[in-house]
Amino acid sequence: MTAVLEMRGIGKAFGTVKALDAVDFDCRAGEVHVICGENGAGKSTLMKVLGGSYRPDTGEVLLDGEPVRFQHPAEARAAGISIVHQELSLLPFRTVAENIFTGMEPTRWGLLDRRQMDERARSLLDRLGSSISTSALVADLSIAEQQLVEIAKAMLVNAKVLVMDEPTAALDDHDAHSLLKLVGRMKTEGVAIIYISHRMPEVMAIADRVTVLKDGRHIWTRDRRDVTINAIVTAMVGRELQDFYPARGATEPGSPVLEISGGQSRYLRDINFSARAGEIVGVAGLEDSGKGALARALFGDSPLAAGEVRISGQPVSLHSPRQAAAAGIGYLPGDRKREGIAPRQSVRDNALLTLQAMAPALSSPNGGARSRQKVDQSLRHMDVRAGDFGQEISTLSGGNQQKAIIARWLMRNPRVFVFVFVEPTRGIDVAAKAAIYQTMRALANEGRAIVMISSDLPEIVGVSDRIVVMHQGRIAGELPAGAEEGAVMQLALGVAAAATGREMAS
Amino acid sequence: MSIDILPAGRARRGFRDVPVPVVVIALAAIIYVTAAVITGQTNQISFAGLTGLLQRTVALGLVGLGQTFAILVGSIDLSVAALISTVAVLASYLMQGDPGMIVPAIAACLALALCVGAINGGLVAYWGINPLIATLSTGLILQGVLSAGFTYLGGRVAPEYQALAYQGLFGVPLPVLLLAVLALVAWFVLAKTRFGAHLYAVGGNPDGAKLAGLRVERFVLAAHIIASLGACVAGLYLAARLQSGTPWIGRDGIYDLESIAIVVIGGTALSGGKGGVIGTIAGVLLFASLDASFNMFGVDAFLKQVLRGAIVIAAVAVYAVRNKGHVA
Repeated sequence: MTAVLEMRGIGKAFGTVKALDAVDFDCRAGEVHVICGENGAGKSTLMKVLGGSYRPDTGEVLLDGEPVRFQHPAEARAAGISIVHQELSLLPFRTVAENIFTGMEPTRWGLLDRRQMDERARSLLDRLGSSISTSALVADLSIAEQQLVEIAKAMLVNAKVLVMDEPTAALDDHDAHSLLKLVGRMKTEGVAIIYISHRMPEVMAIADRVTVLKDGRHIWTRDRRDVTINAIVTAMVGRELQDFYPARGATEPGSPVLEISGGQSRYLRDINFSARAGEIVGVAGLEDSGKGALARALFGDSPLAAGEVRISGQPVSLHSPRQAAAAGIGYLPGDRKREGIAPRQSVRDNALLTLQAMAPALSSPNGGARSRQKVDQSLRHMDVRAGDFGQEISTLSGGNQQKAIIARWLMRNPRVFVFVFVEPTRGIDVAAKAAIYQTMRALANEGRAIVMISSDLPEIVGVSDRIVVMHQGRIAGELPAGAEEGAVMQLALGVAAAATGREMAS
Repeated sequence: MSIDILPAGRARRGFRDVPVPVVVIALAAIIYVTAAVITGQTNQISFAGLTGLLQRTVALGLVGLGQTFAILVGSIDLSVAALISTVAVLASYLMQGDPGMIVPAIAACLALALCVGAINGGLVAYWGINPLIATLSTGLILQGVLSAGFTYLGGRVAPEYQALAYQGLFGVPLPVLLLAVLALVAWFVLAKTRFGAHLYAVGGNPDGAKLAGLRVERFVLAAHIIASLGACVAGLYLAARLQSGTPWIGRDGIYDLESIAIVVIGGTALSGGKGGVIGTIAGVLLFASLDASFNMFGVDAFLKQVLRGAIVIAAVAVYAVRNKGHVA
């Protein structure tokens, strides 16, 4: 079999971050080539290069041995590359047939040929084993049904290369099984299929070859019969542990500061969670595992629908960020630019944000606890490096911005008992990371509970006193300090039952 | 080999089954008839009364048709009012009462609208400027140039041209027929052509449309050109109706904001990708029958604005409920 698609030495950088570094990849007709990798390993970037959304900085793409350079997704699609996108690209207020044919509507005498659209859409959906009505509005479909429409849309063109980016992520087992059968059928039709998945059993079931990417680099490509789930997981996480993590607390953690029992929401199921004084609890999980939803629930942004939350033993209601702040939760959002800082305001004003928000409406904005001396003292205590605290906070480095946000909460001392850090070091350079970790440890040592929600595995393993792993909206298991990255990954992928024997989410 | 692994799309809910335009037109009819009956002016419910009502929908309806295209692709056009004034003034200036200049004047106005639409569309689609800002600015520029230059731009349209606005065919005024024909064409383009389907795709999900291979920018540009052409035709109509254009004709008619209002009342989502011109026509009918009813009751014109505002809010609120959170 010859390779239909060959990608040679693909490199792509965003600013100084290398998303892809000389990646080689190929796919043959009639094979399923699975790409595995952690979040941010470069899988999606590679597929965006293939699909014409990104132009590579280096390297070349060959289709049937001919070099191609796509300037626009339209060209990739015309060349026979079909992509089932991870984020749905459907039109909610258009019918199923209209969605399937977006951009490729058949015409008859210059007019839309709706009959042909309906008939071909019907036969595509039949081929997918689905009885969705072609005239139903997409907004009325379930997520799984929408996913099928997305696949039908990709199958419309006679694809030489079909890319499926986590197509089963939104499907339950039954639908996922049907989809896998379909992939098998398309394979026999001679389509080259690139399949991205986090679900290991699925990978082992359908792959002919497996490629692992990590940090934008190609780790290896092997035949299915030469790999095991363990080998894949090890390759996905395998990296050196850097030793800039601070020493763990010398003393045993104290009594629980934050407790959630029976937490439920649209995204979360059966959340029983606690964080004790002096403890850093790491929450790990893949994208959409519910760890982000847990963070938002803790800060009242998307509150729990059921369940009880206690802080220092007192039941509290967390139905808005204001209530959460009043209850003594300090929140450091992951998307610092959008949710953390007011970029055009001064460092000082940013540090004052919460105090101002919680203060009585008619109080002096710079009086008492909010005086300039108090702010500056707090910023200096956090070692925020700025020429002048009056300058715009957007001019500071990510690490200094993060410290200013911590200062914002510390100004409410002693009324902050729990800190929730979301992706605390995303977009922060290595040197500043160590400082953030030390700050977190210091905050914990002063008797607070720290919840750290992170996609960065080494960080989770290196900093946490206890690791809670989430999978599909549930807590999949708990691991002690210093657990192996592989063990965390296995829980996050849902391939291993929790050490504690907790019931697994299916 | 069809295995039913998924249920067919959920059954539509009853309230949502009724198309928006039907509801809006029914509402307009109820208001109009009720007002006529209560005030005893039942002669308003006659052919003549109704054509009079329809005549009052023409200018706003024409702008609204164009505005629908801009809003469908997720943009908006605030420059229409200024463009209407410019076109009306330009038409009467170029004609100076000379029937031979009718065609050149119309051509010049259409060319101007094409340019304005292309500039609006270019700023929004290719430069990525927020459509509110971009079209507000082109509108201000047009209005400024017009106000500064109007002292030199006197004139009046040719009598033959003016007659077009007053003549009729089988008792139906020509402008009403024009609106009906253009509405039909617009509906046809949106519902029956690939171009129309692509406009919906671009408005409904720009990223998805791009990934599906559409050149999104071109459709935004095209929609803005259509919006400007709609305003141009409205301006030409007003010039004929009023003999000559004044630089305030568009602003005084609040055509920018009211055209947006009728589009929204017609069920077109401000976020784009949903709606159509039938709804817009229904929206303008509702506004016209409200106006007529207030006239029959002899109510203050300012009070009329209060009710118009309330209707827009009510419409958006109702659609929000219908769409479970997809607010216009």
